[in-house]
Amino acid sequence: MSQKTTNRPASAAALALALGAALTVAASPVLAADAAKEKCYGVAMKGKNDCKAGAGTSCAGSSMRDHQGNAWAYVPAGTCEKTASPTSPTGFGQLKEFKEKKA
Amino acid sequence: MNAGAFAAALLDRTAPCPPGLRSWNGSAVAQRFAVYRNNFAVSLVEALADSFPVLRELVGAAFFRTLADAYVRRVPPRSPALAWYGADFPDFVAAFPAASGVPYLADVARLEYVRILAFHAADAAPLPAAALAAALRKPEQLPALRLQLHPSIAVLASPFAVVSLWAAHQGLTAIAAVDPFRPECALVARCGDSVEVTAIPSAAVRFIAALQAGAVLGEAVAQAASPSASFDPAACLGLLIGRQLLAGPAGQQGGSP
Repeated sequence: MSQKTTNRPASAAALALALGAALTVAASPVLAADAAKEKCYGVAMKGKNDCKAGAGTSCAGSSMRDHQGNAWAYVPAGTCEKTASPTSPTGFGQLKEFKEKKA
Repeated sequence: MNAGAFAAALLDRTAPCPPGLRSWNGSAVAQRFAVYRNNFAVSLVEALADSFPVLRELVGAAFFRTLADAYVRRVPPRSPALAWYGADFPDFVAAFPAASGVPYLADVARLEYVRILAFHAADAAPLPAAALAAALRKPEQLPALRLQLHPSIAVLASPFAVVSLWAAHQGLTAIAAVDPFRPECALVARCGDSVEVTAIPSAAVRFIAALQAGAVLGEAVAQAASPSASFDPAACLGLLIGRQLLAGPAGQQGGSP
């Protein structure tokens, strides 16, 4: 009688259904797919490294040498440490920057 | 020499060289000042071109230069951080008479600027899945649940197809297939290091804006629905959770190991 039911925010039951469904949506692999990239150091050719932060901050395309050890490029996740890098002590790209050896 | 006179002469290409300048090597001061004045404007026009690449492609390089040059002289930078230069460039574009024939330019520029803000926004640890599962176990408390959004999130509602126009200029869709006069809303947020632009329904814009304003979940859902557009909370929450755009409670998350 005195209980207000008008203007009431979404009900608890409706929210529980929505959140439950949302967790299912979020768990689907489609959404995860576009995150499947990793930063890979030592594999970018001179001037082809990734990175873009707007005016005054861009470091994309700023690497001076091929396979520069502190310049990175995005690669599909899992492929970085299988990509050959002549300057890398391991012989492959690395997930952290490294000190170049003589190629 | 006074700095105000120097600054005024810097912004007005027709102004004479301010008095009191000296050159260290005896070269012609007026000429050196003209070079400096030109570099000042050109570097800022280039900064705007870096920040608004899609706008530049839409209007063409020559028109963009004219537009940006007019802006630089009207609104010189107030901060030494060049990344944020151009916050009101979209408004300037909207009011620029020669650009009025293309009404969607300003909103495309707004989207580009919001992307820059998202890129530089603070990090936040995502809300752990366990916290959501725990919330779901107490459904009676869901309406009063307060969700924290990732600091990079911004929403933009436009009467124009800003998301499609932007995407077409990233090579993601064909520009010929875009009807610029179809209303679109954008969700802009940073996922990892990359800023994502996603088209969302207008109700989702109201929902996210309500959460940003501090509304609890129940209120935000109620504010999202409108007579003309129903709101699908599951889809919107799914998007936010999937992109890790719900943030954990402040101070509870340690750094990653």
